[in-house]
Amino acid sequence: MIELTNATKTYDSGGGLVRAVDDVTLTVRDGEFVAVVGHSGSGKTTLVSLMGGLTKPTSGNIFIGGTDIWTLDNLNLARLRSEKIGFCFQFSSLISTLNSIDNVRLPASFAGGERGGLERAMSLLETVGVTDKAKAYPAELSGGQQRRVAIARSLVNEPRIMLADEPTGDLDEQTEADIMKLFQGLNQQGVTIVMVTHSQKLAAQAGRILTMTAGAVAEGIATVDTGV
Amino acid sequence: MVGIDPESDFTIGPWLKDNLGRPLAGDEIILGANAHIFLGKSESKVGDEEYFYGKKYTVAGIMESTGIGIDDAGFLTMDSVYDMAKISDKSAVMKLDVQPGDVSAFMVDVMPDATRSEVARRIEVEVPGVAVVTSKELMSSSVASQLDSLMPWLRLIGIVFWVIVVLMIGALFSTIVNERRREIGLLQAVGATRRFIFRLVMLEAMQLTVIGGIVGLAVGAVAILLLKGVVASSVGIAYLWPGSGYIVVFVAGYLVMSIITGILAALYPAIVASRLEPYQAIRTGE
Repeated sequence: MIELTNATKTYDSGGGLVRAVDDVTLTVRDGEFVAVVGHSGSGKTTLVSLMGGLTKPTSGNIFIGGTDIWTLDNLNLARLRSEKIGFCFQFSSLISTLNSIDNVRLPASFAGGERGGLERAMSLLETVGVTDKAKAYPAELSGGQQRRVAIARSLVNEPRIMLADEPTGDLDEQTEADIMKLFQGLNQQGVTIVMVTHSQKLAAQAGRILTMTAGAVAEGIATVDTGV
Repeated sequence: MVGIDPESDFTIGPWLKDNLGRPLAGDEIILGANAHIFLGKSESKVGDEEYFYGKKYTVAGIMESTGIGIDDAGFLTMDSVYDMAKISDKSAVMKLDVQPGDVSAFMVDVMPDATRSEVARRIEVEVPGVAVVTSKELMSSSVASQLDSLMPWLRLIGIVFWVIVVLMIGALFSTIVNERRREIGLLQAVGATRRFIFRLVMLEAMQLTVIGGIVGLAVGAVAILLLKGVVASSVGIAYLWPGSGYIVVFVAGYLVMSIITGILAALYPAIVASRLEPYQAIRTGE
C-alpha cells in the first residue's frame, strides 16, 4: 500500500516557489491499477517520484507498506527502490554503456540474490518481446524497444509496485497496446500499478483515475474494474 | 685506457659485479660505449680480441653510454697495465712509459656523513704533493651549483603544476558528473546506494589517472632514451640508469602518486554525485 499524507513538494523555479505537489493525501491499495492524468506541469511526475522515494517531500509523509520511507537510511531506501518498486520512465532510461541483458540485470545486482541470472533476464526480455535484442546497446534500439527493455528491467526484482511515467509516450499504437496488455497482466498478478498518462484512452484501462491540477489531486472515475 | 685496482675499485666494480659476475681477468678489457670508434671499428662485441701495445685482450663487456669521456675509455686491471708496459718496448711500436706502482689518481669513497671539502683539505695537508678535486668539481662545478640553486624552484614548479593538474582533473570530473546526472539518477532509481555512486566516480577517476600515469611513464621513458645523449653531452654529466630497485620504487611511487591525484581530484565531484537526489538528477539531466 502506498500512502501520502499531506505531502507537499515545492521547487524554487527561480521566479519563486512552485508547489508541484500541494498537500496531497491519498492511498493506493495493494493490487490497484491507478492512472494519473492532468495537464503538463500539473505535478504528475513529481507525485509518482514522491511515491517511489526518488524525491523527498518538502513536508508530509510517504508510506510504503506502512513504513515512512524517509525515515529509512540511504541503504534501506536504495534497497526499497530496488526490491519493491519498478520504475518505468517517460524517456529512454537505459544505461547507454550496457547492453539490453545487462540493463535488465542491473537492479538485481544492487539487490543481490539469484534474480539477476541470465536465464531470468532472457525470460523477461521474452515477456516484453525483445529477445533478439539481448546483446544490443540502447543506441541500437528503437524507442519502443528501449521502453520494452526498461519494463523488463523494472520487473527483474519482482516488485510489488510499478510506477510508470508515461510508459507509452511517443510510441506507435501497436507498441502502446502491447505495453498496456503487459501492465494489465502484471496487475492481474497482483502488482500495484501507478501510471502517469496524458491519454484518456489509456487512463480508461486503469481501475482508478486520479486527476492532477496545479499540484492538487482529485479522484476521477473508475472506468474499469480490474477484478483484483 | 684506465687501469683499476680490482680489490679496491668502486667506480666500475659494481658494474662488473652486476654484469660480468666475476673479477676482471688480466687479459680482459671493458670498453666504453664509444671505444670502438678509437679502435677503427663500427662496433665492438663481447668476445672480440684487441691488441694494445702488443698485448692481446678479450673484450669482456661493453658499458652503457654515459655521454661523457669514459665512453671513449677501456678499463683493465692495473697489473695488466704494468704487464702491457713491460712488454711494450719489444712488442709495440711505441713504448708505454708506466712503471710498476705508478698511479695517476686515487678515487676516495667518502662516508655519507663526511664533508667532502673537509676530507679534501685533510688529504692535501697530510699527503704533501697531492692535488684533490671533489666530485662536484669533477662533475662540473657550474652545472652542480646551477642544479643546487635550481632544485628548490624546480620542486616548487612541480608542486604548483601538480596542484593545477589536481584542479583540472577535478573540473573535468565535475563536468563528467554534471553530464551524467541522469544516469546517476537512474542508477539510484534502480537501487544504487550513495556509496556505490561515490565509489563509481572515484574508481573512474583513479582508472583515468593510473592510465594517464602509465602513459606519462612511457612517454617519459621514450623521451629519456631519445634525448639522454644530447642532454649528457650538452651539460657534460654522465647519464647513468639508476639501479633496477630504484626504478621499481620510482615507478611504484609514481603510480601511487597518480592514484592519490585521482582521489584528490575526484573527491568533491564524487561527493556531489553521491548526494544528488534521484528525481532532480533525472530531470535536470534530461
